[in-house]
Amino acid sequence: MSKQSVDQATPWRQYICLACGLIYDEEQGDPDSGLAPGTRFEDIPDDWECPLCGVTKTDFELLERQEITVCDQPMQFNRKPGVVVIGAGIAGWSTVEALRALDSAVPITLVTACTGDTYHKPELSVAISRGADKKTLVRESGYQAAQRLGVQLMSQTFAVGLSPALKQLRTTRGSLNYTQLVLAQGAQPILPAQLPAHLCWRVNDLAGWSGLQQALAQGKQSVAIVGAGMIGCELAEDFARAGHTVTLLDRNNAPLAGLLPGKASSRLVSSFNQLGITYVGGVDVTGVAALDNGKRSITRQVGQPLEVDHVVAATGLATDNRLARHAGLQFERGLTVDPHTLRTSDPDIYALGDCISIDGAPCRFIEPIKHQAQAIAHAVLGLDAVIYEHKPPVIRLKTRAMPVVLHGQPSADGTWKTLLDTPDELVMEQYQGSQKISHLKLGSLGQSRAA
Amino acid sequence: MNSAAVSPSVALPWADDVQVLADVSQIAREQLAPAAYRIDHEGYYPIDIMAKLGQAGAFAGHLDQYGSRYGLAIESMHEISRHCGSTGFMTWCHDVCGLYMEQSGNPALLARLPDHAAGKTFGGTALSNPMKAFTGIEKMALKAKKVPGGYRVNGTLPWVSHIAPGQYCGVIAAVDREDGSRSHEIMFLLDLDERVTLRKCPEFSGMEGTSTWAVPLVDYFVHEDQMIADPVRPFIQRVRTAFILLQVGMASGVIQGSIDSAREVESSLGHVNQYLHDRPDELQAEFDDIKAQAAKLAETPFDGSKDFLLDVLDLRARGSEMALKASQSALLHQGARGYLMTSAPQRRIREAHFVAIVTPALKHLRWEMAKQMRAEVPA
Repeated sequence: MSKQSVDQATPWRQYICLACGLIYDEEQGDPDSGLAPGTRFEDIPDDWECPLCGVTKTDFELLERQEITVCDQPMQFNRKPGVVVIGAGIAGWSTVEALRALDSAVPITLVTACTGDTYHKPELSVAISRGADKKTLVRESGYQAAQRLGVQLMSQTFAVGLSPALKQLRTTRGSLNYTQLVLAQGAQPILPAQLPAHLCWRVNDLAGWSGLQQALAQGKQSVAIVGAGMIGCELAEDFARAGHTVTLLDRNNAPLAGLLPGKASSRLVSSFNQLGITYVGGVDVTGVAALDNGKRSITRQVGQPLEVDHVVAATGLATDNRLARHAGLQFERGLTVDPHTLRTSDPDIYALGDCISIDGAPCRFIEPIKHQAQAIAHAVLGLDAVIYEHKPPVIRLKTRAMPVVLHGQPSADGTWKTLLDTPDELVMEQYQGSQKISHLKLGSLGQSRAA
Repeated sequence: MNSAAVSPSVALPWADDVQVLADVSQIAREQLAPAAYRIDHEGYYPIDIMAKLGQAGAFAGHLDQYGSRYGLAIESMHEISRHCGSTGFMTWCHDVCGLYMEQSGNPALLARLPDHAAGKTFGGTALSNPMKAFTGIEKMALKAKKVPGGYRVNGTLPWVSHIAPGQYCGVIAAVDREDGSRSHEIMFLLDLDERVTLRKCPEFSGMEGTSTWAVPLVDYFVHEDQMIADPVRPFIQRVRTAFILLQVGMASGVIQGSIDSAREVESSLGHVNQYLHDRPDELQAEFDDIKAQAAKLAETPFDGSKDFLLDVLDLRARGSEMALKASQSALLHQGARGYLMTSAPQRRIREAHFVAIVTPALKHLRWEMAKQMRAEVPA
């Protein structure tokens, strides 16, 4: 990368990570990785990594904010009820942005159970060690975003019923009619009966995270995380880096079972150990109880109960099927959508983000969402089709001590081959017969640099 | 659930759903409809007509003893409400009172059930206050103290419908500990005998014939034979969805009556009514969607899942919203003739308002749905 000097008069610029959506702001730099405030993008070393997902600067592009302001324009008369979007996460707001960029007049109503404040969800799993709180994570309040985009925002409103024959959505603040409906309702944490909701935190949205963050801000505490999937592993490292004592529990012997071969997961476990995280595999949690001293007791099938200050459930996500059931929409582990148009089995209902399933498989990553929103916005507005091409996204684990990058779709019965095995790095490929189905890399240059 | 409807047993009275509905519908049309004005305005309590409806099987369908046919009970209430919303409401009161008696399992109350189901005796329900109290909207009005052989109850219920001296109603009272903290609640069948003096209520905007009274209780002794549930919360948990689901019959009758009124003037006023929105065909399509949802939910009235409760609350809310919309539309369709004091459309507007404010009111339904939908997190 050439180190052209940038004219000092050039305003500070922002660059967006194409993989995870993190925004690098030249004015603020990235002090955590040694980039002082005021570091121009050109001056960032080539081996610098996205602090959130670990890609390098070649995966960043200049962020040109589209300032779409419609609230100053006189309201155009439109008798159609317009587009109703359910959910104000990244998927919901991306849809609204995409629609507004194409059409300043179509009436849009956004119905959301939360406040509608915008934030970048992947940050939640690394935010506690950075000392963040709700205020620092919110980029724009729901009210401001709604004003800017000319949207009727129905916040803290739950969608409870849906009748496609009437094009009617029923909410806890009354019924709405829609011309098209976009479901961006996300997925909810699965809580097995052993993990009661009033005793276990879940990190799946800003509100849930914020409760835990406030509790952990009171001082060093002990936390047990149940479930060593991607979220569980990322949270374990985040809490440990913030100085808390972390125990990570999973039913399987190794973390990320099903994704990683044993050789890779044992490296992950030793990186956990170096951070002071205790990994306990092969454990069946039988219950969680509140103790008189305010602590929680986790009982398991074998072994002593574990006493901790907080329990976090990271036992996976599922899409609520309530609206799909009401509306008779096809549903298989998520709302079944056409892989190119994101249309559900009802011609006037679309879905995107964490709530959908493509070919029977949910796809819960950030990267595809903006493309899905584009396809939906064009279809809803009757413009030339923008076809969504679904690709399995690259899986990047935000475990800074031992980054994991996984391409393709690993299978439980594939054969792993080792390509590179050094103390710093492990590279493997998985084959099904003669066909390569995934590529895995653990550790990175970044790690050796940091060491 | 619908076993009795599928294979009518000889011993079962009112075994034939079609016959019951035909009889109920005929009584509603021929006797109730002409009395609707007197009921609404003059405070005529139509207990004579209700006795006939009871004889025809209007109050029995939902009871286990008569085949647990919730669909039939709702349709009967629909036919009644279509011609008189006040009597539709009293049908609901009577139906849930029967539900309490049966679900109590108390032999003394079960012995009284056949006469209740047949409309030989009458009783209502006074659960508005406790239902709101349980969900955190207001405080319990009645207090009970344990005494040998039963409880002693004090307090006043502001307005209870479908009651009269010699009748009865299901009520709930709170039992407090010595230190004033709440222990639990009990439910019993309050017999309105010489110990209770009913107090007149202020005049309502309509539905005057529902025999609605304030009920002051002073050291009222509740005998074990009157007990419905002790403690009451698990009992309410169990019957809650059936209780709310049955109310849908009221809403649906008011809606159908409104659509009927709009259609009635189509031949004479259709040329101008075409400029109105919420036309009868549109309303009918929306109403059919509601009826289909109701019929499905009526198959499993005691499903204890959260999703089912939400479905029932959603249905009940839909019923309220649509009753308001349909009754408004009917009056606009009928124009001046619908505005006459004796006309059905103006009466139905007030009946629809009642559907939307009677417990659980539209706002309470939305409050409760939001509460059910909210994720619980550690304190």
